[in-house]
Amino acid sequence: MAGLGDEGPLVGRTGTLADMQSYLRNVGPGGTSAVFVTGESGVGKSRLLRETADALRGGGFAVLFGTCLDIGDASPLHPVLQALRRHDDSTRSTAADDAGALLERVSHDLRAIAGDQQLLLVLDDLQWADRSTRQLLLYLLAGLGDVRVSVLAAIRAEALHGTHPLRRVLAELRRLRSVRVVDLAPLDQEQTHELVAAIVGRTPAVEDADRVFKRSGGNPFVVEELSRDLRDGRVELSDTLREIFLSRVDELPPKAHTVVHAIAAGVEPIHHSVLARVVPFDEDQLIEAVRAAVTHRFVASDGDGYKLRHRLVAEVLEQEVLPAEAASLHRRYAEALESFEGEPDNARLAFHWQRAGEPGRALDPVVAAAHAAERMYGFTEAHRYWTIALQLSTETDPRRTELLGSAAESAHHCGEHLLALARLEELAGRPDAPGQSDVHLRRARYLAAAGRSATAEVEYQRALEAPDCTPRRRASAAAYLAELLLHLGRYADANQHAREALELAAVNGATTDLVRASAALGFSAAFREDPDAGLAVIRHAVEIAERSGHPDDLGVAYLHLAELLTGPLNSIEEGVLVARRGAEQLAARGVGRTYQTRLLAIAAKGLFRTGQWAEASAVLETAMRHRPSGADAVELLLSRSQLWVGFGEVDHARRDLDAIATLLAGGGARHVLPMLTLRAGLAMWQGEYADARAAVQRGVTETRSDDLVLLGVLAWHGLRAEAQAHVAGQPVDPGAVRRLRTVMDRLVKGVVDAPPAVRAVVDGYLDLCTAELSRVEDRHDPEPWARAAAIWDRRQQPYPAAYARLRHAEASLQRRVRRTAAINGLRQAYATAQAMGAKPFANEIAGVAQRFRIALGDGDPAAAAVVEQAAGELAALTGREREVLAAVAEGLTNREIGELLFISERTVGVHLGHIFDKLQVRSRVQASRVFLTAA
Amino acid sequence: MTQPIWGPVQQDMSDILQRHPDDVPGVVDQLAELQKVLCRVPPLLDSNPVADFNKLYLTITENVLERLYAGKFKDPGFLSRLDVEFAARYFDALRYWTECSASCPGVWAGLFSRVPGPDPRPLPSAVAGVNAHINFDLPFALVTTFDHLGSDPIDGSDQHHDYLQVNDIFAEEIPGLRRGYLDRWQLLIDTMNGDLDDWWQGEMVEYTRNVAWRNAQKIWAIRHDMIALDKERRRLDNTATGLGKLLLSPFGGFLQ
Repeated sequence: MAGLGDEGPLVGRTGTLADMQSYLRNVGPGGTSAVFVTGESGVGKSRLLRETADALRGGGFAVLFGTCLDIGDASPLHPVLQALRRHDDSTRSTAADDAGALLERVSHDLRAIAGDQQLLLVLDDLQWADRSTRQLLLYLLAGLGDVRVSVLAAIRAEALHGTHPLRRVLAELRRLRSVRVVDLAPLDQEQTHELVAAIVGRTPAVEDADRVFKRSGGNPFVVEELSRDLRDGRVELSDTLREIFLSRVDELPPKAHTVVHAIAAGVEPIHHSVLARVVPFDEDQLIEAVRAAVTHRFVASDGDGYKLRHRLVAEVLEQEVLPAEAASLHRRYAEALESFEGEPDNARLAFHWQRAGEPGRALDPVVAAAHAAERMYGFTEAHRYWTIALQLSTETDPRRTELLGSAAESAHHCGEHLLALARLEELAGRPDAPGQSDVHLRRARYLAAAGRSATAEVEYQRALEAPDCTPRRRASAAAYLAELLLHLGRYADANQHAREALELAAVNGATTDLVRASAALGFSAAFREDPDAGLAVIRHAVEIAERSGHPDDLGVAYLHLAELLTGPLNSIEEGVLVARRGAEQLAARGVGRTYQTRLLAIAAKGLFRTGQWAEASAVLETAMRHRPSGADAVELLLSRSQLWVGFGEVDHARRDLDAIATLLAGGGARHVLPMLTLRAGLAMWQGEYADARAAVQRGVTETRSDDLVLLGVLAWHGLRAEAQAHVAGQPVDPGAVRRLRTVMDRLVKGVVDAPPAVRAVVDGYLDLCTAELSRVEDRHDPEPWARAAAIWDRRQQPYPAAYARLRHAEASLQRRVRRTAAINGLRQAYATAQAMGAKPFANEIAGVAQRFRIALGDGDPAAAAVVEQAAGELAALTGREREVLAAVAEGLTNREIGELLFISERTVGVHLGHIFDKLQVRSRVQASRVFLTAA
Repeated sequence: MTQPIWGPVQQDMSDILQRHPDDVPGVVDQLAELQKVLCRVPPLLDSNPVADFNKLYLTITENVLERLYAGKFKDPGFLSRLDVEFAARYFDALRYWTECSASCPGVWAGLFSRVPGPDPRPLPSAVAGVNAHINFDLPFALVTTFDHLGSDPIDGSDQHHDYLQVNDIFAEEIPGLRRGYLDRWQLLIDTMNGDLDDWWQGEMVEYTRNVAWRNAQKIWAIRHDMIALDKERRRLDNTATGLGKLLLSPFGGFLQ
């Protein structure tokens, strides 16, 4: 922001400068780093940015420099695109298929510039950055752009006082080791004296230096200006910065005076050609005037144009211009911008027309800027433009209805639900408002998005009952309503509306409505324990979508099917197949990048649960190649860190967890809990039980009460950490245990009303929790572990099952009961861990085996052979058959098994027949024996 | 300005304030650390007005944490973030004051400047802090929290419900503290007044906290407009500063 050249020496910042360079060089596990410099205006942030960039340039760093605009409504990604343009003058195309593709395109350009160096991206005045730019920064810092980038940015402290979004972002990023926030304090008395002496050129009188310190408060910019007055023997009449500068303005030649005021009214930097059309001078006069303004230290010039030396000066001058003068300057700016050929900079044009007192002429550029922002997926920016457009148009403006419609929709898109509703109300009150059913439907959608389900339901009903409701819209409204009811857990109502929607849509509806209605019907049926019917409906929806071939329909239909299978139906293997097939279908058509990513994420999760970790890892790698952003990226990174934690790849896990934390700094509270759980898991494998405890305890205070499954995993991790600490001879935190017991009580209460699929999983975690408590209390009770192992076997999740088996064996060995079964269990758990590649877990098992002098592999060939043989026999069974067999071994009847697995009693019989054939047994008892030998 | 503002504990204050707690247990720790140091600020030691407020705030935050652990809030994620954001503003104000920065909000500066004396009554001091924190900091903390969570401040939502629950905590804590501060003649007045002024103070918190919710909704609508936002911030600061002055004036002694 400050001028170039002719600067005082850098005083009192040597240490800071060195620190900043070392922070920027010290990249985190993801190859990125960031330094945010905060401080009040004039404290020397920009200077420090430049000095740091100069010091690093060439030393392994490629430097890009961008500045954010203070007009509050710049176009999306402005500072970064500006930095790219400054680097080479070619105009880059920013059109892209979706928001993610846009981020990737920008990253690509940044990668090209960086080459094999680290990229130093310097951004001044970050407080003015638009939302898209903030998201891009987080995307880059999370390593998603695959650019080795170090971000160096300055933020005015004043901006952080209120509710600035950067406040929260910085608070989150501070947690990461690769991010530093440098709070730049004013100079102290001694440093001020040093700076005064350097500028004055001699040792000043102590009282002079003290006066400068008092007046400047140690602000280096003010110190410099006051010292120059002191050096030049100017009489100090002034006490404030304002007076200092106003007395200087008076000394300017008249034409330079005009130029300075013109620049103060413009949006910096101001290009020479624009300035030439704003001030009424010929070329020679203009150059002379600018030169004088530069000599008098008001104006600075660089490659992009002119700007005032410091923002503080601009603020002083702004107040000096009469309103009429300002309006006339803005008009000339607007006219100058319009007079150039090609598409004008609409953001600037609108800014000037507005301030020129010509709202009518501002409207067109504002609308153009809104459309441009929407093309760049900057929905927040677009929303801001639509809001300005509304302010500019009057009640009687014929365009107002259309503007209100766009404003409402854009507010809805960027999550401003209240505003969206307010705009819609105004729209509904207009004489040329859209029809009743349309308004009700939109209001209902906005209300549903705002979480006001009850009112949303009423609005959907009104839309359905409105006399002008076409069959097509009825189908749409019914489908939405069914979806809403499904979320509310009212499966019977959802089912009914979904049926209605399906009937309407089948005759006269869009495929989208058909797919939405089918999904609602399918899920509601599955939750009402009629899974076959539900499945059939969604499979049918997939067929329809395949025929329509539209990527959204196809993506949504496959997503629903895969979610139904891996979720409530617990047919994980089939769900994984479906998800992968869907992703392939979309890939073959070259469409639906986002849906492919989401489908692969489901597949990877399923593969993790069924213990096929190597395969899961491969799927995740494919998914990451789609370069996801936002919540999709967080989901994938969570899955990947889950794998790293399981594999024991500590560095990789840390890298991905840091990347998740970076992305979550931009919002996304629902992912915080899984992240904390993984942090706890990682800490436990490393024996850092206090860290694990801290992560879990933080999680306990941050979950929504209805996230039962997440809470279950978290509670288990917390109790496991206490148990591990106890076993390792470290203290147990009784407070933490007490709180985790409270969480368990909450789970027990909450699970009563939960759908069966959720209940089953939560029960599994509750069993693990109870079992861990017995470890904490030194009871060495094998019983709860046996129960947990059985439940997780039935859920087809070998990892928690094997874990429970390990603890079961440990407790039995401790109590000296059923040693052979314990040894078998231990070996089986070890085999499972080996097969998955779960190194830390396998080591844990080996440790237990060693403690009780048990050979896990070759040492005891006889026992191993029995297990192997039995395990070999079981290998012939399908996943479903193994589930049925596990239930048989528990002594359940066919009917009970059917209820448990959501299949009919007859199907259980068929499965049993196959099992008897494959195991060559004749009875349930014999089959159970084979199973128990292997298990 | 050449004298350290916290006297002998300047370095301790500065060190504590370098930390930025990011969860509720962290906030409780930070407040507890501050309490130890604040009690050593001469000349009033543990009867200085900031220590009075800090003590109340610590008690309240401990209570919030217990409720979080007990699962008493509908949306604990929201409440934890709000609590951290809310506290951050008090810590920021203290940090600015410690660094002699002009950025310290006027309403806080009013309370902090009374640390060297004269000694205001503990209850009005604590209430003056509550005034600064609720009338000025809270609306901004609410808006930042909602912004981060991507939801809006809607009346009757889970978040509004949780937010109002904190009123109960204030109501629980203030009468208790109130009695803790009594000396003999005040006990007499208290007996005569019955629960009247307990009620009055309980009302005050509830009243101001509802105002804070309304103000948050107001700020929410303009949060992208930096200029309007800044204006609103100054307006709130001025109003709260005026009220704070009143509380710390001899008039405030009547509260106690």
